[in-house]
Amino acid sequence: MNDNFDQKLDALLAAARATAPDTARAEFAFETRLAARLRAENSGSLFAWAWRLCPFFAALALAVGWWSHTAERTETVSPLVAEVAPANDEQLLVAYMTGDRR
Amino acid sequence: MAELVPPPDEALVAASLAGDEAAFAELVTRYKRRVFAAAARFARDDHQLDDIAQEIFLRAFRHLGKFRGDAPFEHWLARIIVSACYDFLRKERRVREQVSLEGTEWDMRDAGIDAALAAGRARELVHWALSKLPADEQLIITLAELEERPMRQIAELTGWSESNVKVRAFRARQNLKKILETTHER
Repeated sequence: MNDNFDQKLDALLAAARATAPDTARAEFAFETRLAARLRAENSGSLFAWAWRLCPFFAALALAVGWWSHTAERTETVSPLVAEVAPANDEQLLVAYMTGDRR
Repeated sequence: MAELVPPPDEALVAASLAGDEAAFAELVTRYKRRVFAAAARFARDDHQLDDIAQEIFLRAFRHLGKFRGDAPFEHWLARIIVSACYDFLRKERRVREQVSLEGTEWDMRDAGIDAALAAGRARELVHWALSKLPADEQLIITLAELEERPMRQIAELTGWSESNVKVRAFRARQNLKKILETTHER
């Protein structure tokens, strides 16, 4: 009985193999649909990446803000440094005129 | 007069990677018949068939950079086909568990194998019976019994070991038999 059913199953599978499904209708204009989806995915992924990068840009903006704030504080060059650095003639002059340097 | 030789797959892959959409379209045209034939073994209707085929080519496009050319493009694509179809089967199984499809199932299931063979509806009966199996068993029956692929090739395509494939194939056939026997005995 079991062997008999195995034969039946083999016959069924062979018949299923023999009847190839007709895919012509689904294949019609497939390239066009695929190209549209690829474009949609690409634009979608750019948008998604932009959103994902939001925290990074926010952190970057904060870091730049903090750096420029601290840089402003240390911008004043001491007269001693101004004397050493030739590019700071103007600061040196100011230091002489204000009496910081004699 | 010299005939125009079509560019090899490797050249089309390289052009696609360089941003040439037409080259990828040519690859799609070249392999879509094969992809549709494989996907049709798993899909219930044209809509699902289109979805699976699109997913296969989208995956191929996304991973095109990983194609090294040490094996033919066709083999590389075959692995993507199997993996996409397997994912589809697992998803479909979850949907089936959530939504009862009893009312829409094959209307001749009570008639059994002989009636299906006589009516030329063997494929439908096999498809219905396969849908009762877990995703891995559906995949293995399709590859081993319907596409008649050797065990070693199935192991390469699925990434499972050859002995694992043999065990799964045996178990899947036993389970398929059980399902069909119950319909046959009615």
